[in-house]
Amino acid sequence: MFEQQVWVWFAYLDPSAGSMMLQIILGGVAGLAIALKLFWARILLALGIGRRKDEEAADPETRGGA
Amino acid sequence: MELEPGSFRDRTGRIFYSGESVFRGLTDRALPEWQALRSTRFFPRLVQEGKIVPTEQTEQVESELPGDWAAVLRHERIPFISYPYEWCFGMLKQAALLQLELIETALFEDFSLKDATPYNVQWRGCRPVFIDVLSFYRLRPGEPWIGYRQFCELFLNPLLLEAYKGVPFQPWLRGSLEGIPPRDLLALLGARDLLRRGVLTHVWLHARSQVGYDEAAQSRDVKRELAAAGFRKELIRANVQGLARLIRGLSLPERKSAWAGYGEDPGYAGADREEKERFVREAVAHQRWGLAWDLGANTGVYSRIAAEGSDYVVALEGDPRAVERLFAEGTSKVLPLVCNLADPSPGRGWRGRERKDLPDRGLPDLVLCLALIHHLVIGANLRLSEVLDWLAGLGRFLVIEFVAREDPRVQGLLRHRDDPYEDYELPVFEAELAARFEIVQRQELPSGRRILYFAVSRGRGRGRGR
Repeated sequence: MFEQQVWVWFAYLDPSAGSMMLQIILGGVAGLAIALKLFWARILLALGIGRRKDEEAADPETRGGA
Repeated sequence: MELEPGSFRDRTGRIFYSGESVFRGLTDRALPEWQALRSTRFFPRLVQEGKIVPTEQTEQVESELPGDWAAVLRHERIPFISYPYEWCFGMLKQAALLQLELIETALFEDFSLKDATPYNVQWRGCRPVFIDVLSFYRLRPGEPWIGYRQFCELFLNPLLLEAYKGVPFQPWLRGSLEGIPPRDLLALLGARDLLRRGVLTHVWLHARSQVGYDEAAQSRDVKRELAAAGFRKELIRANVQGLARLIRGLSLPERKSAWAGYGEDPGYAGADREEKERFVREAVAHQRWGLAWDLGANTGVYSRIAAEGSDYVVALEGDPRAVERLFAEGTSKVLPLVCNLADPSPGRGWRGRERKDLPDRGLPDLVLCLALIHHLVIGANLRLSEVLDWLAGLGRFLVIEFVAREDPRVQGLLRHRDDPYEDYELPVFEAELAARFEIVQRQELPSGRRILYFAVSRGRGRGRGR
């Protein structure tokens, strides 16, 4: 129902991407599932199970990071 | 109508003053949020509990407000505006807990707050009240807590700095209106501090994740990723509850304060104290006062006497520990603030007008200046004549105490100074005072070392204004 414009409407502050990502860890048990989902590809890769995709350089989940 | 110059950050509204009234213009983007907020269950309840400033929509002044507004709100006026760099530790802590309570309560009805700044909290005496109703908005599904970074920089990190390192946060907040970033606080903490509550996550990991993600975020939409991964408000709630537990457990480290026990000084004769209280009480009873300032309030004995005959008292004291003690007593009519009177709060922020200097926030009708002048003239090396000029420009009525050179406190100040401080003599003081004020009453205290005056400015006091 809110789509497209949603995110720019009221956040006149820069919430900081790092501060937002950290909220997964600070979110308790509920955060765990989200962390797994977000970092699943990277976890598999670290365990030697995952596949490195060609377009990986453009994949945000595998760059930067805490 | 006068525009509040500090209300520019959030583009969906602006504050205006007209006489004693406070108005807020809302844009068409803000109006639906206000309408939704008004019909929640939590908003009227929090207003009733005194936690949010009483607010109503008004049509009376819409045409008088400069600019084009979809609606106008009227807020109850806060007696005296103050800023976090003037608060003691306990005040910042209470304000932080109020901010957390508001977001936790709002989340139940799918609302959030778009910022988390102590400048949105003001005081009615020692009770915090949230003043920015435009901060509330309907939380979008999957959206994280936008204000978390700001909460850490302006509430949590200053509190941690003082609680864990014993460093008063006031000069830091006065130095930067944006607060203390996690990275800066981390640089001040030692390895041992990493084990203390909250440091590993809210400071160390926070600083690391900002370094790691903020640059990468130029090319990715973290909010959208979080929403897609299933971020939900329960995560915000868990974080907010954890922060509240952390902050509730923070306390000031032990430190001896120069002033927090001043009133109990054995060198301060009991008879002097009794007479002084009587003199001040009589002066206060002279008429009904609107706003009174107690300069160098110490533990607030005379602020409380002033409160007996005033609508509101601002107790200004340089020692945060003394302010802490006054705050802990929790009076509803006395606002205790940390303020070094030789270096009072200046105008800060954009064009130096976003946060105002003290006189700009309302001048007093009555000024108490008790056992202070020796600290200003000798301790802070101010000229006596200039101190009296300043006092004459503040309020029309003044209760002032001159402490003679023979007093042990003055002797203590003079001990390691060679300057003769020729202006710090009773005849000079009386002549300078009489040049600016008409002396209504004069009384020497039993010890003979302290003299009190109740004086009326010779027309130059500016009286109340904003």
